[in-house]
This record gives sequence, C-alpha cells and structure tokens, in this order.
Amino acid sequence: MEYKVEAHRIMSISLGKIYNSRVQRGGIKLHKNLLVSLVLRSARQVYLSEYYSGACLNAQNEREGNEWDITDSEREKFPPSATECDRVESTEEPQQSEQSEKGRDYRENDDEVKSDQADSTSTLQQEQNQNSSLDSVAKVSSETPPETSNEPKESPSDSAVAESDSTPEANGESHQPPKTQRKRSAEESESGDSPQKRTKVASSNAEESEEAEEMDTSNVSNLITIFGSSFSGLLSKDGAKPEAEDSGQICCDQMLKNLNPWSTAIVAF
Amino acid sequence: TEADVISTVEFNQTGDLLATGDKGGRVVIFQRETESKGESEELGESGEYNVYSTFQSHEPDFDYLKSLEIEEKINKIRWLPQQNAARFLLSTNDKTIKLWKVSERDKRPEGYNLKDEEGRIKDISTVTSLRVPVLKPTDLMVEVRPRRIFANGHTYHVNSISVNSDGETYLSADDLRVNMWHLDITDRSFNIVDIKPANMEDLTEVITAAEFHPQHCHLFVYSSSKGTLRLCDMRDSALCDKHSKIFEEPEDPGNRSFFSEIISSVSDVKFSHSGRYLLTRDYLTVKVWDLNMEKGPVGTYQVHEYLRSKLCSLYENDCIFDKFECVWNSTDSVIMTGAYNSFFRMFDRETGRGVTLEAWRESSKPRAVLRTRRIYTGGRRRRGDVGVDSLDFTKKILHMAWHPA
Repeated sequence: MEYKVEAHRIMSISLGKIYNSRVQRGGIKLHKNLLVSLVLRSARQVYLSEYYSGACLNAQNEREGNEWDITDSEREKFPPSATECDRVESTEEPQQSEQSEKGRDYRENDDEVKSDQADSTSTLQQEQNQNSSLDSVAKVSSETPPETSNEPKESPSDSAVAESDSTPEANGESHQPPKTQRKRSAEESESGDSPQKRTKVASSNAEESEEAEEMDTSNVSNLITIFGSSFSGLLSKDGAKPEAEDSGQICCDQMLKNLNPWSTAIVAF
Repeated sequence: TEADVISTVEFNQTGDLLATGDKGGRVVIFQRETESKGESEELGESGEYNVYSTFQSHEPDFDYLKSLEIEEKINKIRWLPQQNAARFLLSTNDKTIKLWKVSERDKRPEGYNLKDEEGRIKDISTVTSLRVPVLKPTDLMVEVRPRRIFANGHTYHVNSISVNSDGETYLSADDLRVNMWHLDITDRSFNIVDIKPANMEDLTEVITAAEFHPQHCHLFVYSSSKGTLRLCDMRDSALCDKHSKIFEEPEDPGNRSFFSEIISSVSDVKFSHSGRYLLTRDYLTVKVWDLNMEKGPVGTYQVHEYLRSKLCSLYENDCIFDKFECVWNSTDSVIMTGAYNSFFRMFDRETGRGVTLEAWRESSKPRAVLRTRRIYTGGRRRRGDVGVDSLDFTKKILHMAWHPA
C-alpha cells in the first residue's frame, strides 16, 4: 500500500517537473523530460498495479462494456492489453502504445470529456498539440474552483518537444490542477464508489490517450465544447464530497482525468 | 549571480591557458603565472592563474519559428591544437558553435607619416620629412575575434563538441544527432549519427556525450541515456547509426527502482590519453571500459553510493539530473569526478583506491594540499566525518579539467 502512496507522489512530482520544463528558459530539455517520463511511467505502473490488484475482475467486466462503443480497429488492439491488471503489470511499451491508440479511437465515440492524459507512448507531437489545445481548455478549467491555488506543482503537463515545439504556454497545467485536487477529494469519498472508479480508470486511460490524439488534430474548438460539457459537471461539484450516485460518477471521472494526464505527460516528446 | 555560474572548463594542450564558460555566455581565459621576478626559492611555475582575456561568446537568442528562447550558456569549450602564435578555441551553447581566435599583440607601429599618434589625419603641409613606421613594444593586448560561426546545425540541444586528431574537423552532438564539421566550412556539416526515431513516440534514448578518439581520426564514441556506449568507425559508412562496438553493462536487478533509468544515464565520456580506455560517469559511479571488451567495464568506482537510498529526494530537488563530468590525468593513472558538498573524488587506477577531496575556497594558497574528507555511512565515526544528511547539494562540482602536465 505504501508503494501506492509513493508511486502517487512520484507521479505528481514528475508531472510537476514536466509542467515546469515548459516554462523554463531554453526550451524543453529532451533528455530530462525523457527521464522524467520514464519515471512517471514506472510509477504509474506500480500505482495502477496496486490499485487494480484487487479489482482485476471488475475492470475486465467494465472494459467489455466499454468496448462496445469502440470501433473494430480499436477492438483488435484491445486483446494485447485486455485487462488493466495485465497492462499495469507488464512493462512493455507496445502494450501501452496500444492503449493509447485504443484510447484514441475510443474517444471519438465517447462524448465524455476526458482530460488530456495520454498513455505513456503518446507522441511528442501529441503533447505539443495537446499543449496548444490545452491552453484553451485550461482557460476553461482555470475558472473552476479554488483548489487550483496550489496546483501548478501537481498538474500533469504536456511537455512540448523541443523539436517541433511551438507550444505556447503552461495553461494546460492549470487545467490539470483542478482535477488533481478533485481527485484527492474523490479518493477521500471513495468507499462506495471504488469499484466504479476503478473500472473507470481503465477506460479513462484509453480515453485520455485518445484525447491526446485528438488534440493532435488541433480540434481545439471541439475540445472546448467537450471539456465545457464535462466541466460543468465538475464545476458544480467543486470538489465537494459527493453524495449522490451521479456525483460519485463525476468524482470517478475526475479521478480518471487526473490519472490520464499523468500517462499522457510522458509522451510529450 | 546566476550568470556567473561556470558551466564548462578546459585547459589547452600545454596547460598554460584555462578557459571557462559561464551561464551568461561569457568566456574567461586564465593564463598561468610564470615566475618572472627571478626569486630563487620558487622553482618552476607558481600554479596560479590570472585573467588573460574575457569576452562575450554567445548572446541570448530566440528561435522565432518555434517561439523558443535559446540560452546563451556555454555548454562546452574545446581548444584546438596550437599551430602558430594564435590560439583557437571552440565554444558552443545549445545551438551554435563558434570558433574564436585568441591572439596577443604587444607591439604597435608608431611613426606614421599621415596620421598622428591618436590616429588623426595630419595636415600634409606640416610633414617635412618621411619616415618609416617602426614597431614599438606596448602593453600586452589580447584580442579575441570570432572566426567562424557554425549555426543551424542542430535541432536539439548541443551537449558535446570534440576536435578531431586530424586537426581539420570536429564533431558536435545534440540529443539525437552527431554532426561533423570542417573547421573552415560553416555552411555545411555532415550528419554522422542520427538516432531520431521515425515516430517520436518510440523515443527511448538520447545521446548524452560524444568524443573523437585521440589518435584515430576515424573513430568516435557516443554515450546514451540508457548507459550504453557506442564506438563508431567512420570508414564503415557515411552514416554511423550502426555502431562498430557497443559497450553496456547489464543492469543489476537487485538495484531496480523507479530511478534506475535516470542513474544509469551516462553524463560524460572521455577517452584515455592512450586511446585504449573509456571513462564514463553515471549518477553514482565512474566506470573504466577497455575498448577491446564490450561486455562490461574493467573497473567501477563508487562515487557516492550512500546516495542510492536518497534517490527519491534527489529526484524531487532535481539533483538526480545533475551531469557530472569525469577526467583522466595525463598519464591515465588517476581518474577524477565531482560530487556534492564541494567534494570531488579521485581514484587511483592501479590500486583502485579512492579519495575524497574538498574544493576549499578559503585555503587558496597555490599548491596547497587539499584536505581529505570522509562521508560517514556507518561504523565508527571519526572527527571530521560528514554525515550524509548534512551534505550541501547546492555545492556541486560538475565540471572539471585536468592539467596536462
């Protein structure tokens, strides 16, 4: 259990570093961000393996349900990473890249807004585009409640790659903090919602990587709309303890969104 | 101030000049004091260096296409072998390499017919006789002029430059590519290594350092963030993506942690002067490799193993990303590298023994013997031992050069 806490902490720190690297002088340092993304990926794997160690079965069932929405091309990518548990326990990148691809297709079919997490294998271009699209998105989310105050450290960031980099600013990060904050509160109010949340994580990862891809196409306005719709739900909750079933649902989403940026952040380059 | 932080140091081949680059883009060259007063007690040279010349090598720049600032910090300086009275050095920031000519002038012509001493044109009617201008000694002036600017060769951040033994070419390496330049040609360079994947998603390692072999002009080595070294032979093909030899040590599974990849990244690689060995530095160790043996190093020296349990906090405060350099002495019998708390480590290759020394600013007497220090890691604690938790991680010795004598 303590591994999970440690992994979580390392993930937050890593995301903070990626975020900060976007605003530092001299552009993104490819080497450092690559190393940070490797750490992030390892931590995430440990974290998710801890998280899902008890819920493999549930995850699998949920995933079946989610799969119905996805296209065939996506479906064929599913088998290699059938369960969250498998995915987490394996350290193979191919699986993760499949995840992200899966996520990509999945998103197109999904109305739900997912945050810009990408799976660890997203592309640099993705991150860049994410960054640019996130900037606008971030503005939307920045208006969300107070939790944003101490955020920047924890926000997952999409690191822009030095290479194709024209990404503007760190706005994407402000986007993240609210989610991070909410995730905490979501976790606190977890108890009854856990199974639901767990399964959601599985799908959200996929969705988030999709988001990464989608941003790749710079569909900023669509993103804003999508985020807007989902954020309205988040806004109303304002990180408060959920009481109703649907609020629990939203908390799940929040938590998932939080997880997603972390996986996405790795791919910045 | 931040701009004064030294980011690179390099002796020239004779050791009488020491060049330093800083984060503000300036290069300061120091020259060794020679005994000129004729005091008989001091034999040889004093070991003190005084400022010889200072110049602004790089300015902050801006990449308009990518909306990125380009730092003026000098990443590396390398001296060219001396061919005449003038000296040449290469300095590089993240993107641009410059060749500088450092020359002395200690004479000036005096006695012009048409100009007076201040350079003003004389009234011709006042000239009654002609004379030949003569060279008169004057105060030493050091002139530094940029002779070549090698720009636009790199998309990523340049981390190394290395002058070839052929005296005509040099290489520059960034995160994903190594280019070879001719010292006289600035509008072209050859790309000799390119590890950029077709899909950046697949990126798993970057180039961290590169160096030409000291004798063989066709060989060079580059190190990667995964801890591997690749020796390349330029005679094999134009593009040396395929290495001739690859040196790597399998990871110890018992030491696996979140940070295993970071601490195995090689921060510096240096050929021995003999050309037979390679010295590499990763976060916790220095390793000596024999070019004839690819499967593992012939020597591994622990620099600060006591930090292994602190990797997480070092990750938090970014110290785990510090890039330490390593150097050989002139006879390849001792290797040296830096650490924290102003300590640095020297290892004797024959005995394998290491010593910790402190770079102590206060005892700045020339030729003062530095004190040996110890880190307390358990067992009997002696007076003067420093505890691991009291190490000052802001005082880090990253850059070093060994005098060629």
